[in-house]
Amino acid sequence: MKMEDMPLSGPDNTRLEALVHDIYSELVDDACLGLCFEVHRAVKQGYFFLDETDQESMKEFEIVDQPGVDIFGQVYNQWKNKECECPNCKRLIAASRFAPHLEKCLGMGRNSSRIANRRLASNNNMSKSESDQEDNDDLNDNDWSYGAEKKAKKRKSDKSQNSPRRSKSIKHKNGDLGSGVSTEPYKYNYNTGISYETLGPDEVRSLLTTQCGVISEHTKKMCTRSPRCPQHSDEQRRAVRVFLLGPSAPSLPDPDAVVESESFDIPDGQTLMSRLQWEDSPDISPTDSASSKASTHHSDSKRPKKKKRTSLGLNSGVVVGAGGVGVGLGGGLGGLGGGLSLTGGGGGGSSSSSQSNISLSTKKKRPKLSAPSISSIYDDLN
Amino acid sequence: MGERERLKELLRAKLVECGWKDQLKAHCKDVIKEKGLEHVTVEDLVTEVTPKGRALVPDSVKKELLQRIRAFLAQHATL
Repeated sequence: MKMEDMPLSGPDNTRLEALVHDIYSELVDDACLGLCFEVHRAVKQGYFFLDETDQESMKEFEIVDQPGVDIFGQVYNQWKNKECECPNCKRLIAASRFAPHLEKCLGMGRNSSRIANRRLASNNNMSKSESDQEDNDDLNDNDWSYGAEKKAKKRKSDKSQNSPRRSKSIKHKNGDLGSGVSTEPYKYNYNTGISYETLGPDEVRSLLTTQCGVISEHTKKMCTRSPRCPQHSDEQRRAVRVFLLGPSAPSLPDPDAVVESESFDIPDGQTLMSRLQWEDSPDISPTDSASSKASTHHSDSKRPKKKKRTSLGLNSGVVVGAGGVGVGLGGGLGGLGGGLSLTGGGGGGSSSSSQSNISLSTKKKRPKLSAPSISSIYDDLN
Repeated sequence: MGERERLKELLRAKLVECGWKDQLKAHCKDVIKEKGLEHVTVEDLVTEVTPKGRALVPDSVKKELLQRIRAFLAQHATL
């Protein structure tokens, strides 16, 4: 359209102006009309009044301006001090620590030593190749691969992540030596063990020589830590051994062992000892074993602290009979027990008690100490 | 496309920017509430809204637009 055809300059300025205004008005009218269409459509479609709420809702969601509370009226650290009960271990855990605790507790996190436990379990039950295949998937998650990829993966990150925990846990252990509470492990290392149900007697025995073996109430697994682990007391270890291997179970491996001999002819002490064990089990009367167990509890509590196990103590136990099993017995002066059993039912209780203390002694300690102990045993007896 | 369209877009942008559109929309709401939500027609809105719309255009916007139009016409007028 050519509105510009008319002459526009000079005295026709007014016309120009009029024209300009006309054009402007047209533009404004277009804008208004556009708006009207928009609004009308919104009204008819039903979304025109959506941004307005009714008075009640407005009051409900009003902005809050009080101290200690955010604009929605929520308290900032409301859940900080709350404690949650863990469904696994039934402990009360602080809310902010709950998730990491669950990781450890259920054995599913990155640092929960899940793979280590699996490996232990699978090494005991299955062949090595099987366990390799199984663990690879899990291990990949943890930046640690079994076998060939050991070097390639980041071991450093594992170490650095784990070492603060380890040093913490070590400190913690030293402080809590006396407590021996079984729930402690959850804090630092998920300390599962092996399920004893799946193991045969030989395996159990071999396990018990090298490991603590105390069965956790929660997981029904044996503790895989050292036989001196401070989380479990010797009484517990003894109880487990009795439970798993029968009342004639060998005594605990004694870390500060003095006497370890099982019998007088010792060449293959382990097998002989095990033979003795099984032979003598029928001889033991329940009352005797119960009493001996009870008496050994006293000695067990003292055991970790004493380095020297005097043979005196042991012999007094023997002489006294059922009641007086000495300190040494708890410590696995099992050799004496072996000797005693051969000499006959003697004090039935004492023999059974000493019998029960035949240690699944570690091979390290046995050969050294057997010779002197044997002589002392028989001197006293005779 | 043409200058007219360009000018139209320019005007719309300016009116939104200066809040004219929201003002007018609020006015529309009043009108609708007055007339009843169900029975509003386009004509109703137009007759109610346009005069107000014209009046509400800020002077600066008006002046600028007039300026542009004038300039365009002066530039392209065939004598």
